[in-house]
Amino acid sequence: MEAPAPAPPAVQHQPTVLFDGSVLPAPVTITPAGPLFGLAALANNLGGTLEPDENGESFTLTIEGKDVVIAIGSAIITVGDNIVSLSQPPIRGEGTLLVPLDFLQKTYGDLAGFAFDWRPGVQQLVISRRAAREVPVLLDVVHLQGMTTVVLQFPEAPRYQILRQPGEVDVQMMGDRLAPPPSPPPVADPLVQSVTIAPDQVRIQLAPEAQASSYVLENPFRIVFDVHLPSQEPVPVAPGPAPSERTPGVRTIVLDPGHGGTETGAIGPSGIQEKELTLTIARELEARLESQLGVRVVLTRNEDANLPLDARTAIANQNKADLFISLHLNSSLGAGAHGAETYFLSAEASDAAAARMAETENTAQPAVPEGTAGLETQDLELILWDLAQTHHLLESQRFAAMIQGELNQTLQLRDRGVKQAPFRVLNGAAMPAVLVEVGFISNPDEEKQLQDAAYRAELVASLTRAVSSYKALVENRPEPPQASQPVPPAQPGTAPPAAPQPKSPGRP
Amino acid sequence: MNRRAAAFILGLALALLAGGALWWWLQGLGSRGTENRPPAGTGKAVPVPFDLWIPDGIGLRVERRELQVTSAPKDRIRRIAEALLAPRPDGIRLFPEGVALAGVQLSKEGTAYLNLVWDGHEDPPASGSTEELQRVYSLVNSIVTNVPEARRVALLWNGLQRPTFAGHLDTSRPLAPLDALRTR
Repeated sequence: MEAPAPAPPAVQHQPTVLFDGSVLPAPVTITPAGPLFGLAALANNLGGTLEPDENGESFTLTIEGKDVVIAIGSAIITVGDNIVSLSQPPIRGEGTLLVPLDFLQKTYGDLAGFAFDWRPGVQQLVISRRAAREVPVLLDVVHLQGMTTVVLQFPEAPRYQILRQPGEVDVQMMGDRLAPPPSPPPVADPLVQSVTIAPDQVRIQLAPEAQASSYVLENPFRIVFDVHLPSQEPVPVAPGPAPSERTPGVRTIVLDPGHGGTETGAIGPSGIQEKELTLTIARELEARLESQLGVRVVLTRNEDANLPLDARTAIANQNKADLFISLHLNSSLGAGAHGAETYFLSAEASDAAAARMAETENTAQPAVPEGTAGLETQDLELILWDLAQTHHLLESQRFAAMIQGELNQTLQLRDRGVKQAPFRVLNGAAMPAVLVEVGFISNPDEEKQLQDAAYRAELVASLTRAVSSYKALVENRPEPPQASQPVPPAQPGTAPPAAPQPKSPGRP
Repeated sequence: MNRRAAAFILGLALALLAGGALWWWLQGLGSRGTENRPPAGTGKAVPVPFDLWIPDGIGLRVERRELQVTSAPKDRIRRIAEALLAPRPDGIRLFPEGVALAGVQLSKEGTAYLNLVWDGHEDPPASGSTEELQRVYSLVNSIVTNVPEARRVALLWNGLQRPTFAGHLDTSRPLAPLDALRTR
């Protein structure tokens, strides 16, 4: 029998890094979790600056104006203000800072357009400049109340910079190429003369004296320009019909029973769950509003089911609701908490999108998170929902004050006023929106009361009176509400003085 | 070897084995949730007074507490968060027992990232909105008011940013302090 041929000796490859055909003097360490690469040598050749912090426990890598903060031993890094998880933590070794392959892809790859190909068979990292991507872009131009909003929507964030010249704004691609929409909408606008989409840039030609400010929204990625005349403050615009197109009134109300499904919400001392009571109260309020005010009422959920917060306001927007009321029961870490509280969105939360503007202009953008590609087909009416509540803060505050006033009277509470907080369920509502905590389920006495149908009937009557008062105010107002005026700046979390309330039209 | 001596040796071996297993388990317990923790600041730790925002009624009260910290901002953030997560003499805990701080990051833009973990729990504890406000802003207010390098705080749960912790607050972005929660 012939002896098997001996296996050829395994070729031991020295790990190397190749860039543009040349070997870089970057150390490579092979670990069971994958290769690690010396960052300092790569930064010297690919660009960027790498600096340790004052006590040497973290480093900052700056690429294309973005800071990447790296903590030794931590698998989470920050890229600008974004959090990025790595397959393994950067470590010290071979006299330098060693980083994994996905670090390079998520920093130099996303920010500077490099491609990294690790070939384990030959223990070689090949770095190249990535070929230009073709990025589809959708265009929408909306003119409302003296301001034009131009929206450029992308399935993923392109690498771009914004250049401004008198009378025009250019969004220039940096390595990517744009694929214009097959039939871009015609632009006939008093403030924007034209929008031209070429493979390398989008040019927005402004009307004489018009000015444009810009900011970025995500999911899907959008660059938004607010174009206005110098005398007018730029005001974010929400989707939906312009106020002038709608007769003032309260015809449709969306009630949102808080929590549901696996999200129980607060749990009382006896075990009653917030999600059960909010649904009960919502159904009772629905019946009363329909019978006494003749309005259409839609519940965001009518069963014990999970419903994401963003879907709740989406239901209100799709139903073109005139009011959105999210119903909740409260709990507190301290003892003795009791009573009702009414919230509207904090201005700080609604300003978040605009606040991103300064950081994003004139810088290349990191890629949007995975899973957002393909959203380019999303209805363009949805584009501005991120800012929808900004449009209605004053009316939300007015409505919240009416609810709290009625609840104070019913529950014999001293006036706590209305409150502001960055509650997510209020963020996307394109109508006056409030979150009402009708009582503390964590308080044994209130938990017991809330299970009593007669007590709930009083609460429901209070809420109905508040809606009735607000409805009367809106319908008897000589002028449409100045919906585009944001609430004046206030200390975070504190509501400005309550708007004047109309005389109650009588208790229903 | 008589039967008595054999039983003694066997007992000793079992005791050593049990002791070793206990030591190994305790070592593992001590290192849980610290995988992502960078080494502590290299400076000398000294006692520094901090104004901590403590749950009280339906808000937060400010309580002065001395903590041993170095000059490194991240060390101060970590010590403040750990002090808030620790059980209080009045029995109130900011988060349920087992919730721990697994990591701290501070970006140059002034955003402090806190990674909270809770073994065996995918989601943060369910609560009403006031409780969620107290939990989140006890950390946010205490860090931002005591560490000038931190202007906002982003809270992660098991390493991930969540749209909300308990169904109310928008925790998908860094939060600025909410002074209106102060009760006295």
